[in-house]
Amino acid sequence: MANKPRVAIFDFTGCEGCELNKLNFENELLDILAHVDIVEWREAMDDRVDEYDIAFVEGSLSTPDCIERIHEVRRKCKVLVSLGSCATLGGINAMKNIQPIEEVREEGYGEDKYLFPTLPALPLSAVVKVDYEVRGCPMTQIEFLKLFTALVRGQEPVKPDYAVCVECKLKENECVYEKGMICLGPVTVAGCDAHCPSFGQYCTGCRGLVTDANIAGMEEILVKHGLSVDEARKRLQLYNVNQLEGVQR
Amino acid sequence: MTRFLLTEDKVITFIEHLQKQKNVFAPHKRGTNSFAFEQVSDPASVMLDYTRTLHSVKKYFMPPREQLLSFSLTDNSFAEPTVDPVDAIFLGVHSYDLQAVFKLDHNFSEGNPEKNYLKRREGALFVGVTFAPDQWHFSGSVGINPNDADGFDVFLFAVENGYAVEAFTPAGESLLSGFEMSEFNSDIPAAADFNQHIYVPQGKLSEVFDNAWDNEVWEETSKECVGCGTCNMVCPTCYCFNVEDGVDVTATVGQRERHWDACMTRDFSEVAGGEVFREELAARQRHRVYRKFKYISDKTGQPWCVGCGRCTASCSAKISIVNIVNKLVQDHEQATVAPV
Repeated sequence: MANKPRVAIFDFTGCEGCELNKLNFENELLDILAHVDIVEWREAMDDRVDEYDIAFVEGSLSTPDCIERIHEVRRKCKVLVSLGSCATLGGINAMKNIQPIEEVREEGYGEDKYLFPTLPALPLSAVVKVDYEVRGCPMTQIEFLKLFTALVRGQEPVKPDYAVCVECKLKENECVYEKGMICLGPVTVAGCDAHCPSFGQYCTGCRGLVTDANIAGMEEILVKHGLSVDEARKRLQLYNVNQLEGVQR
Repeated sequence: MTRFLLTEDKVITFIEHLQKQKNVFAPHKRGTNSFAFEQVSDPASVMLDYTRTLHSVKKYFMPPREQLLSFSLTDNSFAEPTVDPVDAIFLGVHSYDLQAVFKLDHNFSEGNPEKNYLKRREGALFVGVTFAPDQWHFSGSVGINPNDADGFDVFLFAVENGYAVEAFTPAGESLLSGFEMSEFNSDIPAAADFNQHIYVPQGKLSEVFDNAWDNEVWEETSKECVGCGTCNMVCPTCYCFNVEDGVDVTATVGQRERHWDACMTRDFSEVAGGEVFREELAARQRHRVYRKFKYISDKTGQPWCVGCGRCTASCSAKISIVNIVNKLVQDHEQATVAPV
């Protein structure tokens, strides 16, 4: 089985939940391993290598060191896949981008703040070419499996560009708004099978915004349902600061 | 035909009587404030007094997700799943939802017949019930009234303390046979008024829509609309779908799935090569409304909207199709009235 693609998995600024989510593939892990060799994965093994075919990367880029490392990963891999909200959008980390940076550093590191240089948290795609992405916080498992299968079969994966509402309605869920909660499903990219609304939660927008999302319209909906203009903006910013601020992905 | 009195306290035994004959699907409470058709297991949980269900009974004939094929990549074989008739009693259907089924029957039997839908439709019996129009219903404007028993096998007319039951087909009569009820000889009370109206009938609407393409209402509405597709997904006469092939992680077997699709989403009009032919939300909104009052309507002479109000009730921005159409009517009339 010398010809199996070599996979390496890397983490940048993030909670490592996307990696854990891969270890959680209890029923599929052996099938996955039948198609690829995992050659580097800091969270799960000791090996380090210089070459690999597919790099799966989680976390946002938020320090000068991150920028250096992602360029190295890009040089060594043939296919680069970003995993999860941090790597695909900048994620929750990107909320620091709209705060005064000195305050953020002080909050995190106190008087040692000068030991830790920082940059605005960016998605991988703002710095290097990203071939494919798996969205979600943590990354959506069903989407990872679809992408993975497409990759090993040499096919282009199909990714949705419609709202979570579509998948939610396919399941005939009661609308989250009908329960008196607010929800970002109307502007958030589907692909998660409306996971959160199906389990009594609301959509936080972790998979990012649909293309050309009508942000003003969404804010108006949130305000109509009781949020202040400021709260509405903050809800949308939770995962989507970079998209809202127009950072190139 | 003879009408019988089904008193409120006999409703449960009536449902049990129906259950002895076929599976029964009826409205149940879903979540906090919603209703949904489900198979009846406990007759006491059936809700005959409800506003509208999340989905219409369309979901039984055209499931939201449906496997069309299963295939094997190892031996290049494929198999079609067997599709069985739903063959059930649909209890507590509102008149507009049955009319929507008839519209789908038309769509799916014209031209290239849709065999899965038509197969599932076989044997379905409909027991209707009066509805009380709420703030969103406007089916009266498209010719469908709360006591409209057209096409039903049996109809339960809401009367004081229960229902006046009437069978309209031999199948309906046999549903009732063996169930003791006294005759009902009074008049059926007039159905309640609608709270929303489209001002003009379909004959006029066709003309209105001839001149509505460039109306500002599309652009205006698209400021509030976020294109989530909910209005399409809940519409009882929407039938567009997407077909996707999926391969499981062993890369040996897969399936072809069909699922409902929504023309309000950008994705819907994206074609090979990445071209999106209805990029603007305004164009998508216009398309949706033209599908309900113009395109199919010009061929059939009927509105393809049944006035259930789902699109508006389910819209988180509360965009009203009635307001859109009335604005078009108003503008049309202003434009066609000769200046004094």
